[in-house]
Amino acid sequence: MINPDAKTILSVNDLRASVDGTEILKGLSLEVKAGEIHAIMGLNGSGKSTFSKVLAGHPDYEITSGTIEFNGKDLTELEPHERATAGIFLAFQYPLEIPGVSNREFLRVAYNAHRKSRGEDEVDVFDFDDLIEEKTDVVKMDLSFLDRSVNEGFSGGEKKRNEILQMALLEPTLAILDETDSGLDIDALKTVAGGVNQLANANNANLVITHYQRLLNYIVPDYVHVMCAGHIIKTGGKELALALEAKGYEWLLEEQAVTP
Amino acid sequence: METGSAITWKYPSCVLAGDNSVGEFYSVALTNNLQQADAGTKMIHVGKNTRSTIISKGISAGNSKNSYRGLVKVNPKAENARNYSQCDSMLIGDTSNANTYPYIQVQNSTGQVEHEASTSKIGEDQLFYFAQRGISPEDAVSMIISGFCRDVFNKLPMEFAAEADKLLALKLENSVG
Repeated sequence: MINPDAKTILSVNDLRASVDGTEILKGLSLEVKAGEIHAIMGLNGSGKSTFSKVLAGHPDYEITSGTIEFNGKDLTELEPHERATAGIFLAFQYPLEIPGVSNREFLRVAYNAHRKSRGEDEVDVFDFDDLIEEKTDVVKMDLSFLDRSVNEGFSGGEKKRNEILQMALLEPTLAILDETDSGLDIDALKTVAGGVNQLANANNANLVITHYQRLLNYIVPDYVHVMCAGHIIKTGGKELALALEAKGYEWLLEEQAVTP
Repeated sequence: METGSAITWKYPSCVLAGDNSVGEFYSVALTNNLQQADAGTKMIHVGKNTRSTIISKGISAGNSKNSYRGLVKVNPKAENARNYSQCDSMLIGDTSNANTYPYIQVQNSTGQVEHEASTSKIGEDQLFYFAQRGISPEDAVSMIISGFCRDVFNKLPMEFAAEADKLLALKLENSVG
């Protein structure tokens, strides 16, 4: 929902970033306000995932110039776990398996880390169990998943739902969904989208990275940005995604006279 | 549970002489900095219907070398001997070393001996996953190691198991990042 008086949550200015010495982001600028849903689309290799990792602070990526402000403060000063407790959540494209660490324990430690950073008391095992069982409803997840190791043996759809469960628990200010729809069947897609929509409110924002228009039928964006060669070449409303679906990226690349 | 001297050689062993006797070896061995450990066990099956279980977890950090060396011997008159061995290694950082040297000597054809081994590493991507959920690298390593050692810690008396986690965390301080 677009509200011109809403607070700016994320402000990215002319961001350049590289990995292993190769520049991937080449002057990306973006502003996201509270209550908004932004979709980022683009060809493979355009830098969409890189952008999400740079925002989350992945150590492999180096920012060479430009700025990122989160809630008015320089984000680059914070370590990845500090960015997380500041309110940034990245739903990974390929969530990792962590053998030996139960989902329940992982979620409880993450939840308490967030509480501690806000100066709140940690919750004990029993109170946490009540809380997490409530949250599993958001993604229609069976309670038995909580006692399995994180993502171990989970199907693609289950892993993605587990990401949204974590999001429901940690209630981030800015949620970055990195190709959350990849590998999902239509039912899983609807469950994931339903979860995201339930969590979206006037005080948080969502950055949805996707290849496909289909997800945007369920998570309706306020803005659609198309990335190419490391920066945003066009911004529009949700009709832009529909136009891309109908005409392909070629049309847009020609219109903007850009080579990928 | 072993956190070592600079050099450790240790093979607590069982001679299963009596019929139906059982031997069990549950071990977590941690090496860090420049420690070297060559440790393990010997299970010697002599009597009839004997059983042995070996679960060994080796964690190598820093520039250390951690080797498991184990012998499972089934003597000629040891009828129906059974053994199960599991040796798992966890590598922390880029310069640590883990080796497994299993010796299996079976001289009775009714014997059943099973051996499994695995090696894993605490990867940067795993640590990033924890970090992105707000969990610091030190806490992440501690949780991953606890999970890795769970099979062994579950066998320890409760009072010792509670200390074991803390001892490992202490010995692993500053080993990551």
